[in-house]
Amino acid sequence: MDDKKNIILFGYGSFGQQLYKNLVEAGHSVRVVSEIDENIEFALKSKTEITKINIKRDDDIKSLEIDQDKHIIYCAMTKTANNVFLVLSLRTMFPRAKIISISNSFENTRKLKYVGVNNVIDLYETTARRIANTRTKPAVTRALDEIIYHQNDLKMAEIKLSEVSFVNGKKISAVPFGKYGIILVAIIDQELGNELIFTDNRIDHKLDAGDILVIVGKTKDIENFQEILQADDLLI
Amino acid sequence: MQKDNLQFFIKFAYFLESSLKYRAVKNFFYNILENDDYKYKKYFDFFMIFVVLSSVTILVVDVKEHIPQWLDDFDLYFVTSVFILEYLLRFWLYSDIHKMIIDTYEESLYFDRPISKINLIKEIVTSKLDYMVSLPAIIDIIAILPSYRGIRVFRVLVLFRAFKLLRYTRSLNGFLSVLKNKKYELITLFTLFAFFIFISGTMLYVFEGANNNPNIHNLFDAFYWALVTISTVGYGDITPVTSEGKAVSIFIIMTGIGLISLVTSVIVSSFSERLEVLREDRVINELGKRKSITVICGYGLLGKLVAHDLEKEGVDFVVLDSDKNAAYEADKSGYRAICADATKGEVFESLNIKSHISHVLCLTSDDVQNSFIAINVKSLNEDVELTVRCSDKEIANKLKSINIDNIVVPEDIAGMMGAVYAGEPAAFEVLLSMIEDKDRTQIDEVRVEKESFMDEAFFGDIDFESLRLIVLGIFRRGKSNNEAGNFIFNPRVDFKIKAGDDLICIGYTAAIANLKSMGQSDG
Repeated sequence: MDDKKNIILFGYGSFGQQLYKNLVEAGHSVRVVSEIDENIEFALKSKTEITKINIKRDDDIKSLEIDQDKHIIYCAMTKTANNVFLVLSLRTMFPRAKIISISNSFENTRKLKYVGVNNVIDLYETTARRIANTRTKPAVTRALDEIIYHQNDLKMAEIKLSEVSFVNGKKISAVPFGKYGIILVAIIDQELGNELIFTDNRIDHKLDAGDILVIVGKTKDIENFQEILQADDLLI
Repeated sequence: MQKDNLQFFIKFAYFLESSLKYRAVKNFFYNILENDDYKYKKYFDFFMIFVVLSSVTILVVDVKEHIPQWLDDFDLYFVTSVFILEYLLRFWLYSDIHKMIIDTYEESLYFDRPISKINLIKEIVTSKLDYMVSLPAIIDIIAILPSYRGIRVFRVLVLFRAFKLLRYTRSLNGFLSVLKNKKYELITLFTLFAFFIFISGTMLYVFEGANNNPNIHNLFDAFYWALVTISTVGYGDITPVTSEGKAVSIFIIMTGIGLISLVTSVIVSSFSERLEVLREDRVINELGKRKSITVICGYGLLGKLVAHDLEKEGVDFVVLDSDKNAAYEADKSGYRAICADATKGEVFESLNIKSHISHVLCLTSDDVQNSFIAINVKSLNEDVELTVRCSDKEIANKLKSINIDNIVVPEDIAGMMGAVYAGEPAAFEVLLSMIEDKDRTQIDEVRVEKESFMDEAFFGDIDFESLRLIVLGIFRRGKSNNEAGNFIFNPRVDFKIKAGDDLICIGYTAAIANLKSMGQSDG
């Protein structure tokens, strides 16, 4: 989980700036690309490295030397039309690249998906749901806030089970997650494909190497838990 | 002696002012007669409508049939006394005499000069006279007159009782106000009508009045003919016989068609203009009966999504937007919508912000506008929970300093999500599905009710596994409303759950609903 990614961020508007900040805080290396002079000026002022390109020209994009197996590409331009166009050009050039884009409506999400984006963050959908939740589920909002913004050290993380781990071959119910101050929320069980499954106890999955666990816990407990997982056997 | 009299009145005025009973009685009558929000007013309205209609019916039946004595007595004594009583009550309610006396007395004490009795009486009389000459009061008094059986013509005035209906039916009032709105246009048109009727009536009288036409006896007949013709009614009882008269007819018919269509169009357009207002009045009336309304200010991209979500959750809400098209669009989607400026106090007051509004969401795309609305709302009622959308960090900080409950920065949430995606795509997906609530697996809160099976239970004793739920933690409310409360993540097995706690659960919709229903009973 702590392998830091190389990220190319297109767009440095209000959302781009925020995203840049969050990505850098998470320890990733980010390269910012923009085509609006104003944003470039702003970036230079805050000493952010930025490249100016014209997204309509393929040569400009090629000059960025994107490695589709290494980079994650974020399309965060203010205008959704630009994002759609950018995803289209990127996808034709880099069929295997991981591309994520922002969207401002359900409509545009559909268009972005059509041109081949891997994931979409809908700026308004997430916000709207949150606002509605402050009205209907205030406690959930508070809890989610703590998890998303890492308040009180609480966070959500994922752990990929390595070849050597004491939980390999065990059923979920046989692993005392709670004892380590951790709650298992979902897993990706490699035997069942790449689908994310919530572990609300309907099926007791068997854990294997390669499975991904999504857990919630305090940062310290998560780190602790990871170390314990490395041990090939443990006296419980 | 006279001085004693005055002293007595002043004393009595103070007695009334301090008497809770007097105030309660007056307040009760005020509510039942004037306060549309009062629960029982509508029963009184129905009663008055019944009284009015019965009295009009008696009059009409009386024309040809003989009505029984008891009905006549009912009309004479009961209806009349109800009307007189109503008139006197309204007369009494219109202003407070005792307050005027106290004011004058205190003023005289302040300036240290004797009470001017004449001024006081003048003030009292003018205030009451104000009421007596107002149109509804005049209608009321005329409606009482037909009870005097001495003069036959008075019987017709019973119809004025029908006018009283206006007071008790709000929709009729709405329509009258429509016409009032176009007063200037209508007066102009009717003046024009009168002018043409006068001209052509006089002309016809000049041409045919002198024995040419046996049907026209005097100027009144000629005017009558002109009105019947210009209005395109055309009875045909009087027709011009000379060619000059026919020429006048041609002229008056042509202008008549034009004028009639003008009047019609003025009234129709006025209605369509007012329809919006009438609809909004209805929205406000509808909402008036509900407590804890949520107000959405701004029906843009975000407003639409939030409205959709709240509708799904069954929350009572109303959309405000100063843009007519946006308000219209919200109305078309089936939401309650009002086209109004949310930065003004007026609309919030008409929605009873003091008692009926619980949440206000400021969702316009302009941060400054949102803060302005937020400040407006807070200054009207501090207890309303505010959620403000704000993209600018500096404005957000300012808003925090004035105790805005929730500040939502769209870029913030999405930016955080974007960062999670880079390192942990699976966690990203979990978070997204929790926030967007699209999966069948949801995150929800379940309140622990008093004396339910969870109340006072240890966390470890409840088998959430067999309930097919993941419990992330417990949200415990603060002791007072101002205290924010705590989220207790992953509680220990010996954690004691209390009534009022919220369990944060992840699970299938059905599993959550199951726990909710279990929490209500003590099963």
